[in-house]
Amino acid sequence: MSDLMRSMIAATSGMDSQTTRLRLISENIANIDTPGYRRKTISFEEVRAQSDARAVIPGQVRLDRSELERVYEPANPLANEDGYFDGSNVDLIVEMADARESRRSYEASLRMFEQSRGMLNSLFELMRR
Amino acid sequence: MENPLTIIDMARSLTRHAATRQALITENVANADTPNYRARDVLPFADLYRAPGEAERATAFKPIATRAGHTGFQTDASGIPGLRQMEALAISQVGAESPNGNTVAVEDQLGRAAEARLNHEMALGIMQKSIGMLRAALGRP
Repeated sequence: MSDLMRSMIAATSGMDSQTTRLRLISENIANIDTPGYRRKTISFEEVRAQSDARAVIPGQVRLDRSELERVYEPANPLANEDGYFDGSNVDLIVEMADARESRRSYEASLRMFEQSRGMLNSLFELMRR
Repeated sequence: MENPLTIIDMARSLTRHAATRQALITENVANADTPNYRARDVLPFADLYRAPGEAERATAFKPIATRAGHTGFQTDASGIPGLRQMEALAISQVGAESPNGNTVAVEDQLGRAAEARLNHEMALGIMQKSIGMLRAALGRP
């Protein structure tokens, strides 16, 4: 039974981490037109949670240090003498791919959570008789 | 005649085995995007379970040494029927490793999870039927 509890803790941490990741992806997409915005990234880390479960936590939020997009718009107050200003380094395709991957992992964790709960339920069902 | 308690013990071992597998698989799925994470699983039940043979049945109630301090008993603990220590081993699968060093293949894990669930249900079913048989033998409905 403690194995099944452990499993539920791990599944919850998985969903939690993917939610954080999805939130950051949404923030990146929302700020795609913000001048000077750098996209946020996180890397997951494995931790020991209660019941010795190998859970996952989102690591520290980092900023993508890659080059910002140079936008040509001479009328913009931010533009320099050549008419360019720094946009954001968010790539919509990359964010969408990331979101898709995150969603897939979230759903897999959710499915595992439901299955663990189902197994625990049938164990209790046996005790009830 | 097979002792029904052996069946119950076997079913209990299978339940434990399935629950341990379920926990490991869920941990793998939760860590599907963790860099450098290695997917783990335990050996199949058939490799880990030792059914009691004729010799064990004959000496089923003989004491055995399970600690270093025990003397005068049979010392070979490996002969004990039942479930052996379940050790989580890394799964090695061709093509599953991502560039970030993660070896979890979600589809493969879901297949393993289905297997664990089936085994768990089967074991619980067998346990329930065996208890029913014992009940019937005792003359209760």
